[in-house]
Amino acid sequence: MKRLLVGAIALALGAIPATAQSLEDLNIQIHGYATQGFLYSTNNNFFTTTSSNGSPAWTEAVMNVSARPIPKLRIAVQARYFLLGNYGNSVTIDFASADYKANDKFGVRVGKVKVPSGLFNETQDIDPSYMWALLPQSVYPIATRNSQLAAFGGVAYGALKLGPKLGRLDYRGWSGEVSVGANDGLFTNEIETGTTLPDGLNGVENGTALHWTLPLADNALMFGASFIRDNTFSNPLSVGYGKYTGTETIRPANEPDYFAKYEKDKLMVAFEDARYTGSALVVLPALGPYGISTTFIDNREWFGMASYKITGKLTAGAYNSQFFAHKHALGPLRYSKDWVVSGRYDFNQFLYAKAEEHFVAGTYEDYDTTLNALGLKPTSKLTILKMGINF
Amino acid sequence: MKKLLYGFLLVATASIFVVQAKAQVIVIANNSVKASDVSKNDLKDVFTGASTSLGGGTVVPILLKGGTANEEFLQAYIGKNDTAYRAGWRNLVFTGQATMPKSLDGDAAVVEFVAHNAGTIGYIGKASAHEGVKVLAIK
Repeated sequence: MKRLLVGAIALALGAIPATAQSLEDLNIQIHGYATQGFLYSTNNNFFTTTSSNGSPAWTEAVMNVSARPIPKLRIAVQARYFLLGNYGNSVTIDFASADYKANDKFGVRVGKVKVPSGLFNETQDIDPSYMWALLPQSVYPIATRNSQLAAFGGVAYGALKLGPKLGRLDYRGWSGEVSVGANDGLFTNEIETGTTLPDGLNGVENGTALHWTLPLADNALMFGASFIRDNTFSNPLSVGYGKYTGTETIRPANEPDYFAKYEKDKLMVAFEDARYTGSALVVLPALGPYGISTTFIDNREWFGMASYKITGKLTAGAYNSQFFAHKHALGPLRYSKDWVVSGRYDFNQFLYAKAEEHFVAGTYEDYDTTLNALGLKPTSKLTILKMGINF
Repeated sequence: MKKLLYGFLLVATASIFVVQAKAQVIVIANNSVKASDVSKNDLKDVFTGASTSLGGGTVVPILLKGGTANEEFLQAYIGKNDTAYRAGWRNLVFTGQATMPKSLDGDAAVVEFVAHNAGTIGYIGKASAHEGVKVLAIK
């Protein structure tokens, strides 16, 4: 799959005429953004930061370079520096793709591509694109963002006009290899307790998404659904700080996702409901039959949100986000519930600021053990302040 | 009664100016663009990146950097202010789905560019000279 990326980019570069072209002809553009956040929490420390003492350890910077050598072909690459507590502090490639759009009904994108699932999966890491300092963590957890964001493969996409009474149907279909590094935030708690996946997590996923925009109120209302089928993910495993080794196999899993959004003039209202069902088999040969275990997973997550543009520069909003791990034992570790109030001020088209307050109940998400060594309180508040600049 | 009549006249006069302001922007296209008219929905789709075709051919939107004509166009046909509008385009750029449309200083620059670049479509003030391009009727 990764070789597909190299091949795709080479193919795209070959499409550029052999005669010399100026940068203007190639329509090369450079865009980027940078954000700096500050977190303060009561009770618990969030996202591997010392947020209970106030923490500025949240920085992102993105650089995007794109070219359009011919009208129907676009090549783009985006690099990111990400730091959040102990997550990241590295530069990664968000995506690198060649996109050929034959017409509005059909286009194809290959390389390392964003996965177009749900309402916000493609834009969850694009801070300037939404008013929230943090998207609902039930569906878009920032700590495990890399495992959802992109895949090495391809996306086919298009839009079908259904007529004046039925509106428009946008479709996406994709297949690709998901590759999550060994030190990804997904594995933070496991690493802290001596369990690692030395090769990370790698496997193939296939998915499809439909967005139906109704011809009501200037196309303000959209209903959508996406479905991901994860194929088997099987990778080496090490437990007990290397004492025992084996394999972890995540059996094929399903991720259905349903969502809706109404956005017109100053008002935006959205809802999303997702689920993950599957199981993971761990085999540690040195322990014989005691080294074989199966964990069943049934995670249910949803949120409802609304925002209103009070003035041309000021937007306010709120959301409720809920996550339940149905196979967990009863107690705060089984769920995470979050009430949020938020505001965003756009100084101009380049500079903005966000302020947000979270009222969190439950401890399933957002916490690691090392920085919460005295144990987790069942409720916590989190204040976020963030500045961003984009061009 | 007089105050009421005076107030009504003020509102009526203001409404006329508002209506006239919305009519002060025209949509222009390179002569290679096959369409001679465009619906409001299709126009919005092209200028928000939802569509790259018009009249059966590929089109490329050209924007104004700012000014009255820009504000009027965005208000009348996109329903967003300039900041929100460009944020929408940046979404597409940062997700790898589009490149940012070219933005030009002033109506004359837009007319010059659209006249000499096949497939381009833009908007200018109604009173601005627009030789060498075609005007698309909004239906």
